[in-house]
Amino acid sequence: MIYNFELIKNKRKIISFSTLLILLSLLGILYSTFNTSYKKPINLGMDFIGGNELRIERVCEEECSNFPPDSVLENLREISKNKNVLNNTKLQFQNNNKLISIRTPYLSIEESNNLISNLDNIVGPLNYESKDSRLIGPKLGKRLLNNCVASLLVSLFAISLYITIRFDKKYALFALLALFHDLLIVFGIFSWLGIILSVEVNSLFAVSLLTIAGYSVNDTVVIFDRIRENLKSNKEGHNETIQLSVNESFRRTTFTSITTLIPLLSIMLFGSYSLFWFSLSLSLGIIVGSYSSILLAPTLLLKD
Amino acid sequence: MKRRQGWLFFIIFLLTLSVYLLINYPLQLGLDLQGGSQLTLQIIKEEGKVTSDELEAVNSVIDKRVNNLGVSESNLQTLGGDQLILELPGEQNPLVASRVLGKTALLEFRTQKKGTSTDLKTLQLQRLNIKELIELYSSSDKTQNDENYLKIIQNDLKKIEQELNYSYTSSDIYGMLIEIKKYVDKEITNLFIKTDLSGKDLINAGRRQEQTNSNWEVLLTFSNSGGEKFAEITKSIAGTNQLLAIILDGESISEASVGSQFVNTGITGGSATISGNFSAENARELEVQLKGGSLPLPIEIVESNTIGALLGSKNILKSLYAAISGLIFVGIFMIFNYRILGFVSVLSLVLYGFFNLALYSLIPVTLTLPGISGLILSIGMAVDANILIFERIREELYDGNTLTRSIDSGFQRANSSIVDGHITTLLSCFVLFLLGTNFVKGFAATLGIGVFISLFTSLNCSKTILRFFTTYQSLRQKNLYLPKKNFSN
Repeated sequence: MIYNFELIKNKRKIISFSTLLILLSLLGILYSTFNTSYKKPINLGMDFIGGNELRIERVCEEECSNFPPDSVLENLREISKNKNVLNNTKLQFQNNNKLISIRTPYLSIEESNNLISNLDNIVGPLNYESKDSRLIGPKLGKRLLNNCVASLLVSLFAISLYITIRFDKKYALFALLALFHDLLIVFGIFSWLGIILSVEVNSLFAVSLLTIAGYSVNDTVVIFDRIRENLKSNKEGHNETIQLSVNESFRRTTFTSITTLIPLLSIMLFGSYSLFWFSLSLSLGIIVGSYSSILLAPTLLLKD
Repeated sequence: MKRRQGWLFFIIFLLTLSVYLLINYPLQLGLDLQGGSQLTLQIIKEEGKVTSDELEAVNSVIDKRVNNLGVSESNLQTLGGDQLILELPGEQNPLVASRVLGKTALLEFRTQKKGTSTDLKTLQLQRLNIKELIELYSSSDKTQNDENYLKIIQNDLKKIEQELNYSYTSSDIYGMLIEIKKYVDKEITNLFIKTDLSGKDLINAGRRQEQTNSNWEVLLTFSNSGGEKFAEITKSIAGTNQLLAIILDGESISEASVGSQFVNTGITGGSATISGNFSAENARELEVQLKGGSLPLPIEIVESNTIGALLGSKNILKSLYAAISGLIFVGIFMIFNYRILGFVSVLSLVLYGFFNLALYSLIPVTLTLPGISGLILSIGMAVDANILIFERIREELYDGNTLTRSIDSGFQRANSSIVDGHITTLLSCFVLFLLGTNFVKGFAATLGIGVFISLFTSLNCSKTILRFFTTYQSLRQKNLYLPKKNFSN
């Protein structure tokens, strides 16, 4: 089967589409920065701002009794020693009232243990074997954030250095442009997810961005490799050779994306809850990355 | 021909070795997979950086304390020059650990200033009152009419406030109670003068139950010079009204008088007991802190992760489902599209899985949830190399080349793209591993190892298996390598 994408004809459409996606992402980032309660380009989770997250299952005979979260919080406040710790607290019942998840600002270990035993008194008994509790101090969170930003910058620098050495400057520039395009769009999508669904990003999100960066460049480099090879041997015009190379690599790129998406989908479906958003951002990155490698980056190489 | 066979035997040898390793050196599971607590401890220094000597000193004190607590298989590592990560596997209570670890355990012996008896008595009485109030407050929590209790506590607090001439900064009652307790402790400490005897003169600490009641006491054993100092100090205050205070982290935990029978020699024998109202648990914590010595710098617990054992085993199962279903679906996809080639890639994926896990147990890599997702993701990436090669082989076949030639040049021509792709991913992994936190490191390590091994399995194992297959005439038909509907093309 020969694929035939009319890259040359659709140059304008492809560039407009990418521009639209980028504008939508920027819009989300701007909206998030000025019009949300957290005033950040993206909704930072407790990994970066500190806090306390507790998930624990209740022991129920058959069906778990129903408690309105507000009244549970009210009860907790009444018997709590330090009332301030329960400001900005979110409490949810999930999984047929069986799973309690509670988020508070940073607590000391002692306060956190108190909270659990108070919770046990109100909605217990609780199954401590199913406990998942995380506490992160605000200072550590800030450090983590700086760390993530630093590692993102360093690895971007390393990648651009590598492709500049391997290819010429023009190729490197466009591969990087495609890379920023991919990262910006995934960032923008999560910005919107934060605005609409209050999805928070944690340090695994930063990891996914780094992986996407590696993947996106990898994908683009394979196509550029093909273009370069064909340009050496082919007698057709520059633009036609690029179009041919893209069509020759099309199946490889989509298949690679599919085989990477399949395990990610398995993680989303069967894996642990804490990895869901991580797998989602990686999947989005791979989809956007494949698009930009097949269509956007080669289109940018076309001559007028 | 001989070289090909050599590779085949080498791969079979590696597979056997991997299985052997996996059976004899089981994989290390992280706390999120087996349950337990992880604490990140931050060393606090007001000015300047924490030196490596200080870091080492803190490390060894914490290590001693954890060992004295009797936690088995705990693991302590330093991180980033001023942090320590402590892992407590199993169902240990992080609260106990935090109480024991957070204390500096600076032990001092001080003698009372002259003419402060009245002041001390007042303060001791206040301290008793406050302790009772705190207990009352804790126990009043769960009763219905805690409003009344709160009023009583509030009134009492007001009285204490007036007597001490102290004004609060805190607005809630619990905060006030803690604040006033600290203030009284400090005032008591101020009534005593430092001596040259300190925790440094201690060589051991122990505990035992008091004979007269069920309370516990803590025993101190001094070094030779410490024993002499102790005798000297006790001699100087024997028979006077001055008391000897034992002060831990600036808070007096015991004040005792020295009987007049010691006026000539002081208390000799190089040991002392602290008998307060210690519970068994408190006595044990104090013993652990004293035995471990004092921390050169205070520490703070900045992160804590606790995962129950049941949740840990659930996490393993879930990851296993994810990994196996991912492998199966990728396998089906590959066989459907590339037929025999797809089957070869499945075989080399299975090899890839074994080599990976064997390397984890060899290095060793502690397997965590992000680590497993790195592994699962690297499966997808390992297939990438196979696809690159297979596409090239197909092109060669479409061009009408022979099978052997197509396979050879397919591998050759895909080589540079594969190496490029792998290097960019390895670069990200490398940066993640160097700069990342603990959590991120696991992901970077497994993904990096995976990418590295996939270079070997996709370039070498796939080739060897494929060549082995093509030695059989029945497996040499071209249509076994291409999807039927595309073949006419």
